[in-house]
Amino acid sequence: MTRLTGGLIDRNAPLNFTFNGKAYKGFQGDTLASALLANGVQLMGRSFKYHRPRGVVAAGSEEPNAMVELRTGARQEPNTRATVAELFDGLTARSQNHMGPLHRDFLAVNDLLSPFFAAGFYYKTFMWPKAFWEKLYEPMIRKAAGLGSLSMQPDPDDYDKGFLHCDLLIVGAGAAGLAAALTAGRVGVKVILADEDFVLGGRLMAESDALDSAAAMDWVAAAKAELESLPNVRIMTRTTVFGIYDHGIFGAVERVSDHLAVPGDKVRQTLWRITAKRTVLAAGATERHIPFADNDRPGVMLAGAMRAYANRWAVSPVKRDADAIAIFTNGDDGHRTAMDLIAKGAKVLGVIDAREAAPRFGDYEVFAGSTVTGTKGRLGLSAIEITRGGRSEWHDVGALGVAGGWNPNVHLASHHRGRPVWNDDLLAFVPSPDGPKGLIPAGAAAGKGGTEEALADGMNAAITALSEIGINAAEISLPKAENMPSEQAAFWHVPGKKRAWVDFQNDVTVKDIALAHKENMKPVEHLKRWTTLGMATDQGKTSNISALAVMAELTGKSIPETGTTIFRPPYTGVSLAVLGGGDTGPLFRPRRLTPTHHWAEAQGAEFVEVGQWMRAQYFPQKGETTWRQTVDREVLAVRSGVGLCDVTTLGKVDVQGTDAGEFLNRMYSNMMGTLKVGMVRYGLMLREDGHAYDDGTCARLAEDHYVVTTTTANAGLVYRQMEFFHQCVWPELDVQLISTTDAWAQIAVAGPKSRELLRRIVDGFDLSNEAFPFMACAELTICKGLRARLFRISFSGELAYEVAVPARYGQALMERLMEQGADLGVTPYGTEALAVLRIEKGHAAGAELNGQTTAQMLGLGKMVSAKKDSIGAVMSRREGMAAEKRRLVGFKPLEAQTQVMAGSHLFTQGEAQTMTSDQGWITSSCYSPHLESYIALGFLENGAERMGEVLIAANPLEGQEMKVEVVSAHFVDPEGGRLRD
Amino acid sequence: MTNTVTDLTPITALGGTVARTEVCGALTISENTGLGLASLSLRAGQDTPAPFGLALPDVAKAVSMGNYAAFWTGRGQWMIEATGKAEMDFAAMLKAEVPECSVTEQTDGFTAFEIASSQGAGPIEALMNKLVNIDAKTFGPGQATRTGLEHMTVFLIRRAEDRLAVIGMRTLAGSLWHALAVAARRLED
Repeated sequence: MTRLTGGLIDRNAPLNFTFNGKAYKGFQGDTLASALLANGVQLMGRSFKYHRPRGVVAAGSEEPNAMVELRTGARQEPNTRATVAELFDGLTARSQNHMGPLHRDFLAVNDLLSPFFAAGFYYKTFMWPKAFWEKLYEPMIRKAAGLGSLSMQPDPDDYDKGFLHCDLLIVGAGAAGLAAALTAGRVGVKVILADEDFVLGGRLMAESDALDSAAAMDWVAAAKAELESLPNVRIMTRTTVFGIYDHGIFGAVERVSDHLAVPGDKVRQTLWRITAKRTVLAAGATERHIPFADNDRPGVMLAGAMRAYANRWAVSPVKRDADAIAIFTNGDDGHRTAMDLIAKGAKVLGVIDAREAAPRFGDYEVFAGSTVTGTKGRLGLSAIEITRGGRSEWHDVGALGVAGGWNPNVHLASHHRGRPVWNDDLLAFVPSPDGPKGLIPAGAAAGKGGTEEALADGMNAAITALSEIGINAAEISLPKAENMPSEQAAFWHVPGKKRAWVDFQNDVTVKDIALAHKENMKPVEHLKRWTTLGMATDQGKTSNISALAVMAELTGKSIPETGTTIFRPPYTGVSLAVLGGGDTGPLFRPRRLTPTHHWAEAQGAEFVEVGQWMRAQYFPQKGETTWRQTVDREVLAVRSGVGLCDVTTLGKVDVQGTDAGEFLNRMYSNMMGTLKVGMVRYGLMLREDGHAYDDGTCARLAEDHYVVTTTTANAGLVYRQMEFFHQCVWPELDVQLISTTDAWAQIAVAGPKSRELLRRIVDGFDLSNEAFPFMACAELTICKGLRARLFRISFSGELAYEVAVPARYGQALMERLMEQGADLGVTPYGTEALAVLRIEKGHAAGAELNGQTTAQMLGLGKMVSAKKDSIGAVMSRREGMAAEKRRLVGFKPLEAQTQVMAGSHLFTQGEAQTMTSDQGWITSSCYSPHLESYIALGFLENGAERMGEVLIAANPLEGQEMKVEVVSAHFVDPEGGRLRD
Repeated sequence: MTNTVTDLTPITALGGTVARTEVCGALTISENTGLGLASLSLRAGQDTPAPFGLALPDVAKAVSMGNYAAFWTGRGQWMIEATGKAEMDFAAMLKAEVPECSVTEQTDGFTAFEIASSQGAGPIEALMNKLVNIDAKTFGPGQATRTGLEHMTVFLIRRAEDRLAVIGMRTLAGSLWHALAVAARRLED
């Protein structure tokens, strides 16, 4: 055990956990990383490419190395940073990315092969032979990719989402964030204070600085108590603000129960979308390291992290208490770690300071003007080589802290294309004033990392933010703090022949960057992709700037001249489960149910998704073993008797106003203004480019009142199109539009016995052909007084009606029709039979109205009226479009029982099947029980003139060819007599 | 105007024979099957009428008086609500009030879920935080809006500090209820 005294852990709350099957103990307040270090465990994983032994580097979300698999079973979670995994009793963790035990990874052989895995390895290696890519290289790379493994089981937990609004969002609850929250909170504005950590305090927890001569955490506790007492302040710990999106919306994930063994009744995580008027970015800073030879051994870590482990978690990062610790630094900050460790009783070898004029702040040895040039230790650090002026000495140490300076956490500030700017004094990029609107960086995130300046900067940021939205906030009394010395030198890496790691997670070394430079991958974006620098889970938080500095040195340019690096969302990894919003399976997205859905379910119907709708596809009956049997029966029942189909899904738009007829004249290609009251007309709508858009019917209920129907698929689009033209193009027309799709249940009653069936439910309405002819419509009552609408329209080609009633009566009407029509053989039918019936009749549907076809192609050219203008009419006559020769025709295979595949292309017999000889394609196909043959519809060049010709329908994807005869698209009742009788 | 006379039996938007109610802690969600709805749109050049004595509200507002209420849905457009009149031809009743306007029956175009809190505004606002990107604090009594909820379009009406109506498409009733109930149940935890 290497526990020190003090710390913010609760020693009265011991916790048991396992790592790679071995049991350990930690305390409440520990992370997995701190608890492992406290147990003397330095080796926590293997590197991605070379499988080098790796230990923890950082103490926060920037951790590149200590990636583990947490939990077991379905809750197994790969690539979890041990540094942010809150310890709980019973936690199980395993190291990842190794074959065999962690300390003897067989894949460590990769390290010996490292000369082959240099920068650009993928691009250079997998280019040849070309044929190897799909079968060998890609599967191999995919298998090797990633670090941890998935459970391959469904996630058992619930996820939630929500929306929050505030005047001021504060990202980060360290010194600057807390000062900002107190400043704004006391004014009474709505404040959200979010921090990824599970306790407030930020870097104050990691330091030994006093505030007002007392422990900093005393001030943090007082601030927390005050903020919790303010009803206008919402404190959100365990919440990572991961991105800034349009309209001032911030994405944040709250880890509600990640710190519990089992979430129980709670959700696992919540995705919050936070709309903030102003935001203070107080996200702190991330320390960078200094690459030197073999700097990746477990035990080498960031000096600031080492300080955090000592002060917050009372942990010394060595395996044994007797092991010495050294610090390698280019500035004053490294010395702070040495002093804090000494104060905690740890054994410190000294501080290796790259500066010749290195200061000394306490009683420890200083190796001025020196660097670390090598390390030893197979699975953990045992010795370092300190070099000064060409003289080197080895020293036994158990850990080495590296302090290379601090990079402000500019991540959020670089969203919305904010480009950080270089600050020569700080030797770091700081947020640009041209970053996301309303975002004010403060404290260490703005390059003001001293405690006193961070507190003041946080307060001032809040005052500025609130003044921008017209609210005056007063300065608050801040605790006195001492700004520690922070001089540093621009010393970026230790030159040498051996490998010096820049990006630990992706195994990118200084040599790799040099090779990228040699191969002219100098721009920073090329460098990243060539070497994989800055990719994967840590996104280069600890490596990007060091890499830029190395490249700058190679190019002889300054760092800002070499380039900058910006960060895309998310700041840290976000699970797909929480982005998915929680619901899965059939609840994943909303489902629209027809008014007869529950009835159809009770009949045993099979359903099909049609957009959001669930539609009855067919109604199997006892003894039917295939869907075809069912559909054939349903189709024949309609042709010979009467069938019922819920067609509520067709869009319905109520169009009223004195200009309703003129409006529809302009929307539809054919004339609608002349339609008589009480009649229905088939309508064709074109897009502005002249292609067919949608078809439907217009029923005129009164001089100034139409009800328009659309296809199911285009209901929303047509309504939107109508609103657009109404509001933006012809606002002078007196027209009122509203959707009534859901308001009315509409049932198709189709077949030669449909009139007889309807007679049994209408309230004295005359259904005779004379009184209510084909394409008539009426408002009437049925079933003893229920208001209804009746349309005599047919999709099947049979005598048919559609009857509409208020949706709540849809199911009862269906039941009544079934009951009343029992002796007529009434049969419910679904979308499959509907499709067969319309193909038999030659009616176009989605496959023919696919956005690429024209009125002429559909055989509806004459419907584009020349007597008036309408959307798309002029464009439909343009050259090329007017010359289109393909026409919708029918096809019958010469072998009646062989299915014609929709999508097959049409060729003349004996001709080569090429693009140039292609004469059209099959759009829809089905088996027609009426004709006892497969049939199809399709577009064929000069189709109308080629009746009787035999062509080849070729389906090269399936290697299928068949002979089909060109026939009329109207397989059933081409004269339309049945419709009109 | 009397109830619709028919021997057919209606079902609710959720497919039941009676309205569904669920109590989730301080919140009670109820299916309001009795709410009659009809849209009212002004024709060109018309002045705003006052059907049933309602002073038709301005943008994003709702008003109520007795059994009638109205909320703004667009320029010159309102939805008129009538408590307990779903079984009547409410559109005809409204048309009789405003014969010069365009009126469309909407009772079964929507499903209304009424959410009541037994502990004041807090639970209502917490529920809104989980469901809609609307600042609950600024959405006080008398406010109405159309917004997205779980990929569905809904009208929200803050009927009182402790009452919120969510009016969504009838065919999506099941999905909407699921969204409301799950969010409300989670507030209990």
